[in-house]
Amino acid sequence: MASVHESLYFNPMMTNGVVHANVFGIKDWVSPYKISVLALLYEMTSSKITLPERRRLNKLILPLQQGPDLSLGQFLKTVEECCPKTAYAVKLRLHEMADGELKDMEYFFSTLPTPFTAFDSEAYKTSVVGLFMRHMLLAYNKLSFSQVYKLYKSLQHYYHSHYAKPTDGQVCVPTLAADDSDMDLTSTEDTVGDRADKEELDTPLHESELRCDNTPSRGPLSQKQAEYFLSRQAYLLKNDENKALRPAALQEELNNMLKFNPDFAEAHYLNYLNSMRVQDIFLSAHSLLHYFDRLILSSNEGKSNGDEGYGRSLRYAALNLASLHCRFGHYQQADLALQEAIRIAQESNDHVCLQHCLSWLYTLEHMKGSESTVLTQDSVKMAAHFCLPYLGSLDIQSLVQQGAMQGKAAHKLMDALKDTEILHWKHSLSELIEISLAQTTSIWRMYGKSTMALQQAQLLLNMSSLEPVNFGVHQNNTEAFAVALCHLAELHAEQGLYSATAEIFQHLKEQFPPHTQHSKLWMLCNLKIQFERHMNNRKYHLAEPLVKAMSALNKTEGLYRKAQVLKALNRSTEAYSILQQLQVHCEKTKCTEIIIRVMLSTAELHWESSSFSTALPLLLQALALARQHHLQSLASEGVLHLAFTQLMLGIPGQALTVLHEAMEPILAHGAVIDKGRAMLLAARCHMAVAGFRLKEQGHLGQHSAALAVDGLNEAESYFSRLSCKERLRDVHYLQAQLHRSLGQTAQSNKSAMNFRLLDQELQSPAPPVFMQL
Amino acid sequence: MFSYHCLPCIQEDAQDLDAFTLAKSYFDLKEYDRAAYFLKGCCSQKAYFLYMYSRYLSGEKKKDDETVDSLGPLEKGQVRNEALRELRVELSKKHTARELDGFTLYLYGVVLRKLDLLKEAVEVFVEAIQALPLHWGAWLELSNLITNIEMLKSLSLPDCWIKDFFMAHMYTELQMIKEALQKYQNLIEAGFSKSTYIISQIAVAYHNIRDIDQALALFNELREHDPYRIDNMDTFSNLLYVKSMKPELSYLAHNLVEIDKYRVETCCVIGNYYSLRSQHEKAALYFQRALKLNPRCLGAWTLMGHEYMEMKNTSAAIQAYRHAIEVNKRDYRAWYGLGQTYEILKMPFYCLYYYRKAHQLRPNDSRMLVALGESYEKLSQQVEAKKCYWRAYSVGDVEKMALLKLAKLHEQLNESDDAAQCYMLYIQDIFSCGEQLEHAEVSTALRYLGQYYFKSKLYDEASICAQRCCDYNDAREEGKALLRQISQVRDQVETPSADLFTPLSNINTPVRRVSPLNLISFTP
Repeated sequence: MASVHESLYFNPMMTNGVVHANVFGIKDWVSPYKISVLALLYEMTSSKITLPERRRLNKLILPLQQGPDLSLGQFLKTVEECCPKTAYAVKLRLHEMADGELKDMEYFFSTLPTPFTAFDSEAYKTSVVGLFMRHMLLAYNKLSFSQVYKLYKSLQHYYHSHYAKPTDGQVCVPTLAADDSDMDLTSTEDTVGDRADKEELDTPLHESELRCDNTPSRGPLSQKQAEYFLSRQAYLLKNDENKALRPAALQEELNNMLKFNPDFAEAHYLNYLNSMRVQDIFLSAHSLLHYFDRLILSSNEGKSNGDEGYGRSLRYAALNLASLHCRFGHYQQADLALQEAIRIAQESNDHVCLQHCLSWLYTLEHMKGSESTVLTQDSVKMAAHFCLPYLGSLDIQSLVQQGAMQGKAAHKLMDALKDTEILHWKHSLSELIEISLAQTTSIWRMYGKSTMALQQAQLLLNMSSLEPVNFGVHQNNTEAFAVALCHLAELHAEQGLYSATAEIFQHLKEQFPPHTQHSKLWMLCNLKIQFERHMNNRKYHLAEPLVKAMSALNKTEGLYRKAQVLKALNRSTEAYSILQQLQVHCEKTKCTEIIIRVMLSTAELHWESSSFSTALPLLLQALALARQHHLQSLASEGVLHLAFTQLMLGIPGQALTVLHEAMEPILAHGAVIDKGRAMLLAARCHMAVAGFRLKEQGHLGQHSAALAVDGLNEAESYFSRLSCKERLRDVHYLQAQLHRSLGQTAQSNKSAMNFRLLDQELQSPAPPVFMQL
Repeated sequence: MFSYHCLPCIQEDAQDLDAFTLAKSYFDLKEYDRAAYFLKGCCSQKAYFLYMYSRYLSGEKKKDDETVDSLGPLEKGQVRNEALRELRVELSKKHTARELDGFTLYLYGVVLRKLDLLKEAVEVFVEAIQALPLHWGAWLELSNLITNIEMLKSLSLPDCWIKDFFMAHMYTELQMIKEALQKYQNLIEAGFSKSTYIISQIAVAYHNIRDIDQALALFNELREHDPYRIDNMDTFSNLLYVKSMKPELSYLAHNLVEIDKYRVETCCVIGNYYSLRSQHEKAALYFQRALKLNPRCLGAWTLMGHEYMEMKNTSAAIQAYRHAIEVNKRDYRAWYGLGQTYEILKMPFYCLYYYRKAHQLRPNDSRMLVALGESYEKLSQQVEAKKCYWRAYSVGDVEKMALLKLAKLHEQLNESDDAAQCYMLYIQDIFSCGEQLEHAEVSTALRYLGQYYFKSKLYDEASICAQRCCDYNDAREEGKALLRQISQVRDQVETPSADLFTPLSNINTPVRRVSPLNLISFTP
């Protein structure tokens, strides 16, 4: 008996035991909604409409054709907003059909303007409207008798359900009403849920949902609509994830689509992308493989050179699997998959695929942390040979990145970037243009040229998207944008514009919510800025908890910051061991910036034990390294350190000459705090040159003393801009002393009062002034 | 008391007899609407059931017809039996008024199940069974809804003899073959020894645990008792296929075609028959025919996939396997088949995923493990490969290949002790199973063992192995050469005390779980 029920599951889409997606090779099907659209188009072509109304209607055509089926109420409302007259005419026409007989519908189809005859109207055969009409006519003509009857029935239902709604449902749909009342008899959970579902289905979609088209569409989509939906979602996933459907909603939508059409392979691919978003390795692998299993089928049918098409998808299947594993950090697995892809590609002499593989191989090697310059250079050559501009310039970009890290000559890097830029614009590879701009920003920042970096970042952010179709996306949420915005935030923070920084982070948070792929970038950046701020204000207890968060995002950075906190808290031994460890690690990974920073920090540790002379070789080494890699900001930092050491060693004159070298770049490009520090140091050097001693009144060199006063005043202005009270207090103290030695009592008293006020406010004993840079 | 209730029933039956008989004839002719129309006014329980059942089937039939005429491929998921809701409303009214008998309760359950109200359906089926325990259809419907053993235990079922049948059926479904066999045995002892149903079920159970000989014997018995039987014959043909029994399979196929050639089972048997004769196109054709008769026939999809594999039409094979998976995600053969397909396409990493899936579904099946091991070996992941092979051996290797492969792997990695041990186990395994296997590579194992013992200076064992080598054509020369070498070395060594040497070397040799002398007991 049971088998009776099972065997009734019959799938008519099957021929020869094989299910076909498009039985009749038609992608579009006539539905009641489509008939309404046809009626609208018919009205538009036949009747006279005023120009502004026509414009509004014209704008409406494409969304109506491509979007999912709407209910009659929604449809009429949208049309009414544009042109009430036409809406009424459409309603009338539908009424004629629905309340008439089958022949009325047939008559409607026969009166439609044939695209082949209407030469001067919108319905000409090559226009969008004409194409749609032709599709519909063809689809209608192919319907069998019973299908036509069914279409008519559903049209009636479609029309009447619209009018049944405003009145009481019980009158018009008696079966439904009876159903509802009876359902209460067995009021179990399932029934309630069931009914709720139904109600949800029956309620018309909100009008607002029509506006932003990425709302879940219920019910089946036609092939075209589904394709449009998929391509749109895929585009949004790539460029602006926030605008795409939520992962759960998208999943539901895809499941729905696959239920109606299990052979829709692309849906599996989108499923894969969606699962990647939520880091679901299981489902994403499953969907990816499913997609390629399906693809192998379809490509085999279509291609005349059958074997080729199908081998090709095999290669890309393996390649995609490799990229999947790479994304999830399974490098060994990725390597194996990649080798497989390479082998198959080699066997079939597919150079394009091989080229892709090579790029991935480079990425993989890079992620594993090994040297891969040679590989990349090969890759560039191959790409040039096979005319693959995208891959070629992507490789060049990674080469530039490596070159920058290794301290290659800056002009060469910039030249390379410029050349690729030309290529990008020629082929309008907008994605690469963005990356290129972000990369230039980063390089300028690394070199310590903040103005240039600022300019490049602004350039990228103000650039409008070059994509041919952008679904209302003004700013993509690609990695490039995240990087540029982070740099912008840091640059603002450096200038003490913290409210602007906060705004940028607010934007970043919206654009790249915490669960997304690139969110780590801004999180780390935000933490760094906060950390720096607390450190400058000497609020170490606030900085300390940030270290842990930083180590979670980036281990090296976290370790470095930890050393800094420890150093500030006078736990020198621990700090020293961490710094040593870090130096070894960074020398291995060739992370020059951190190496220099570590050296400077170690030198500072040496100061604390008053062994200034031992700090000198370290500082010189750091300086040489910074100069070699063109890291200007770090070089100036090194110079500052060097000058301070010399000051401490009692050769202020020498220190001043060294300092002069760094003063210019610091004032031009440095952060406000650095400017303040430099000015303070210069003032102190001048004071030392002038023969100033603490608590000792004597004759001072007038010229140097004047310079020192100026320097201190300038430093004061910088520090007050940052509201860096600890440092201000030091400045006031020095000012008071200096003025007193110069015999300017009034000014001295004023500074002393300022010092006193700050000291009271801070309530912490001041560290020895002269031990700090 | 009982008769009091029965009496009006009989009266009503008599009243409705004409209408009922007419309707029943229409029903038999599959004119369901017509049957329902003439039954409308009837009040007997029987007539009421037929009335409702006709309406149900009419709805189902229309649904199927509708699907063909759907207005688009994407609409097909939406087609549903419109009669179901009305039926549910009516039946639930009567149900609360307790006016339903066993059959109508069963129908109510079916309707609920079709509406995906599974929880309620189970309750109603249990009620139906309690009202009418001897209606097997209700039991079967219930069995479709039970997903695990806990659920089965929680149901309160009437203590009727038929419950044992049901339990046995459920055990088979839930892959608890041992319990199922025990149940069936009890039933046979209780007096059902001649039931063909039970015999067939036992045979299927044996088939599931791959006890091929037992299953074959039972099927042969079954065919003697019930020569025109078609049910379960596809399983029988699978067994014959596995055993490569061509004449028997051919006889079965011809016989079934004579009985009824338009049955799914018949088509499957013929497909298997052609497949065994290596006429794979025809085999695929017959599997396709089986699928036309019943698209939800899982086995046919998988078998068709196998045929396409044989025809080297990998893409069609992938398609067939994918369909099989769509019908039932837990079909391990389809996953395994997909893995094999990609293996043929030389994508060892890619096929790993599929083999893993298959292995997940059948954790104790050595074939998947061996396949996994082979893939890992191709990817030069020897550690994983070794694990797979060893596990395959541990769960009982069907094809007896795992140990040999493991030994070869050890040999490649120069782990001679492990290799020797594996070869030893392999030889034991081969000889203990008694029959000669085609692919057996005993000579390879012996050759290696001979060399191994020779190197570790166990000359007695080495010479035994060498002698055994001489039994095989391909290893004869090497065996002889080894013997000569041994005698040479012995001549040299004999001068010092030979007695001392043997025990000493025994201590020196690495761990050996089995004494090499055990070989003698396994002489073929």
